[in-house]
Amino acid sequence: MASVRSKLCKYLTSISCRNCNILFSTNLKSFKNLRYVSSSTKPDDDRDPAPSFFNQDVQQLLKKLTRIDLKKVYRKKKEEQSLESPEYKFLTDEQLNKLLKEFEDKANEKLQMPPVVKIRKDEQKVLDIEPALQGYSDAKFVFTDITYGLSNKERLVVVRDPDGTLREASMQEHCRISQLYVPMLGRQLTPPPMFQEEYLKLLMEQGEYEFILDRACVQFEPDDPEYHRVTQATYDHIDNCCKYETLRSTRHFGPFAFYLAWHKQIDNLVLESIHTDRLDEAVALIQLYHILNPESKSASVAYSGQQVQFVQVC
Amino acid sequence: MIPASGGAAFKRLSPKVIRFARYGCANRPFFHIVVMECIEQIGSFDPLTNKYNEKLVSLNFERIKYWIGHGAIPSTPVAELLGLAGFFPIHPRTYMTAWRNRRANEPRETVEQSPENIAVSNQ
Repeated sequence: MASVRSKLCKYLTSISCRNCNILFSTNLKSFKNLRYVSSSTKPDDDRDPAPSFFNQDVQQLLKKLTRIDLKKVYRKKKEEQSLESPEYKFLTDEQLNKLLKEFEDKANEKLQMPPVVKIRKDEQKVLDIEPALQGYSDAKFVFTDITYGLSNKERLVVVRDPDGTLREASMQEHCRISQLYVPMLGRQLTPPPMFQEEYLKLLMEQGEYEFILDRACVQFEPDDPEYHRVTQATYDHIDNCCKYETLRSTRHFGPFAFYLAWHKQIDNLVLESIHTDRLDEAVALIQLYHILNPESKSASVAYSGQQVQFVQVC
Repeated sequence: MIPASGGAAFKRLSPKVIRFARYGCANRPFFHIVVMECIEQIGSFDPLTNKYNEKLVSLNFERIKYWIGHGAIPSTPVAELLGLAGFFPIHPRTYMTAWRNRRANEPRETVEQSPENIAVSNQ
């Protein structure tokens, strides 16, 4: 952390972009905040990120930031499946281009971003109160609707408590019961110990961000508070260690960039893009920040094609 | 073993009953809720509690509505379960069982109290 901070101190006064041979003078007002690293309370949790996330412009910007690299998307992975022997073909240029395009489309599909939605509130509606049923049973009765064709969100799960109250199941009960009756591949009945604080910290120190995010995606629904906790902790850790390359060209970079822009923490990423001579990405990130925070001071500056001036002004 | 999707032929004029069919193993019951003559499985009931102190019941409400609409009659335990689920009104047997259980618990409390009282008064 100290080394990162000293690196950032160097950038505090000026950054040089090797491509353009220009010195940017920085005015990082939020530099002080970079020291205080904690993932606990974020102020703007009441705003609903879903409409902004599914906006076409935002999606375009996030895709641009993800920087789809086919070599990384189709890299060798250990997936515990038996390999088929490779197929070699002779192709003309046209056929090769057509195949490349097909694989690009498949890569786009593979890199579909997990949605960023508001945390769902756990409202356990009480459907019936029957005090005369006290003593019938010491155990709760959990009733699930296994009608064919229902999604987990529509599925009704009700619980009859031993004191006679009939209520809708809590979020945790609902997830567990749905997984019991309509299991999803890769999802455990109870969240694995990996997502607890101490083990999560260990994993993040080892740099296994993609593994954590993939597993969180499978285990939790996107509106689960646990999903938000795990992803926020991971994103904060990546931001502090500036290890953006681990997530580039994966499906998680889009929501990660969205998270940074939403919580006004784009400084590190902008610095990194300038330092690696990717001004177009810096511009895209700042534009994203403007769309998500229209009340910010530099939001009135419109991008007119001059990358360098735009970044300097903002 | 009859498959869960049922295996019997549908005979139009025979009476249909929705009842439990005991599956599971020795000393470990597990019930399928079935339309007799085993045409279709409509749900399941596990009478033993799990580690969260829950008895799990699954019910395919769409098919239950279909068969009841075609004149199927649920047996008493199935009717009790559906009453507890809120689909039917609560069965009178449920109220009776609850009342009897409460009455069975009460005399034990009064009996427990009297030796204590004797011990306290002796001291």
